[in-house]
Amino acid sequence: MLLALRDVGKVWPIARTGERVPALEAITLDVAAGEFLILLGPSGCGKSTLLQIIAGLEAPSAGEIRFPSTADGRTGSGKLTSMVFQDYALFPWRTVLGNVVFGPEVNGMPRRERDARAQRLIELVNLKGAEHRYPHELSGGMRQRVALARALANDPQILLFDEPLAALDAQTRRVMQDELLRIWRETGKTFVYVTHSLQEAVLLGTRIVLMTAGPGRIKRVEEVTLPRPRHLTGRAEAEMLDRLDALLGEEVQRGMAS
Amino acid sequence: MTASHWRQIASVAGLLLAWQVLVHAGRINPLFLPAPLSVLAAMWEMTRSGELPWAVLVSLNRVVQGFVYGAVLGIVLGLLAGAIRWVEDLLDPWVAAVYPIPKSALFPLFLLWFGLGNSSKIVTIAVGVLFLVLVNTITGVRSISPVLLKAARDLGASRLQVFAKVILPGALPNIFTGLRLGAGMALILVFITEIEATKAGLGFLLWEAFQLMDTRHVFVGVVTFGLLGVATTWLLQWLERVTCPWIQRSN
Repeated sequence: MLLALRDVGKVWPIARTGERVPALEAITLDVAAGEFLILLGPSGCGKSTLLQIIAGLEAPSAGEIRFPSTADGRTGSGKLTSMVFQDYALFPWRTVLGNVVFGPEVNGMPRRERDARAQRLIELVNLKGAEHRYPHELSGGMRQRVALARALANDPQILLFDEPLAALDAQTRRVMQDELLRIWRETGKTFVYVTHSLQEAVLLGTRIVLMTAGPGRIKRVEEVTLPRPRHLTGRAEAEMLDRLDALLGEEVQRGMAS
Repeated sequence: MTASHWRQIASVAGLLLAWQVLVHAGRINPLFLPAPLSVLAAMWEMTRSGELPWAVLVSLNRVVQGFVYGAVLGIVLGLLAGAIRWVEDLLDPWVAAVYPIPKSALFPLFLLWFGLGNSSKIVTIAVGVLFLVLVNTITGVRSISPVLLKAARDLGASRLQVFAKVILPGALPNIFTGLRLGAGMALILVFITEIEATKAGLGFLLWEAFQLMDTRHVFVGVVTFGLLGVATTWLLQWLERVTCPWIQRSN
């Protein structure tokens, strides 16, 4: 097991009113090596917050996060996770290569070594030839490839994806879904993937964690054993989509009512 | 050369020509408006005699020193204030109080404190540049998307590395805006500080010529100030292109 969440909760204080709004409650979850774990839920269910907590970018208000494979059970120095952000979060003043080497650079890897690693990753995400372009010179799909290569450059065990394809058009999204699967298979990394798209969850995941509308709790955990390649029109896929659609629909309604 | 270029050249050449002809025809009194060619001739004379280059050097020395001190201090304080809350709290009231004061109004005080020499002039210029660069640098740091800071931390950057590799380059476009405004301010202030209490410099040359009613030499000073303004703008644009290639390419 790579990652263990125990009773994790998060409360956002609202300074103006003094209220404390619960965002996450009692999240208990184990993530095994090599999984493609989907966190699925309606907007505002706290799934992105959960991802930030796993990344160590936010502190939980309750519970604990453990990385059992490390000596002290914590992330921190040798970071085990890397995040791929929804809006790419590329450094506009760095080229593709400059963005990809950022992690190794700040972690003190010698230049020759980190450039070679970045070059390999740029090839992995099919961006060879674009090394010296700036982010604004790239399409949305290419930017997300850079973000993926940059996250891989620290050689993390777990990659965290925060709705990475939400900003892309439908065609590009289809291509990128296949690309993510290929890279997941080729690198053998563990993916924790936040989305509100049911279709994406069924196409990509090995396991789907369905969350409730805010405060986010785990409503259902679903193993996805469907063979790959999957097609949304396949019978087994359609049946699963229907079932999850009903569950997700309940939560979307609850979210709107509250 | 496009039609637009030709019209621009025609505009300048036409006006200068009309000016020259009108002065020659006696329709304009050269005491108020000397002919362009006579200004050019005076400029050439003063260049050959060394008078003009010396004045430019004296003024440039004040401008460059004042600009560099003001800019460096403005950038450093601006980055710190933008990134660290308590630094901002300490600076904010001073910026609010001093920013709106015309910096030329502080010159008498600086004369009193720093004497009649170069120091008072350099300090006046530095203060004028400082506030423009400071305010723009703070704006630049604020304009950095918080998700970039998050990404940098997620990739393992220390606070110092975030500062050097995210906050500094992220604020650079606004810093250059501040530097451009500061360069203009430096030229204004060097003229004002050279009117009084000095015997050298381009501002002194211009003002002395005015007091002697030597309008040709006043024009030489005005034109030279203009050339300095153009040169500093070019220099800063070049520097921005070299240090911020990602902005240039978005144009």
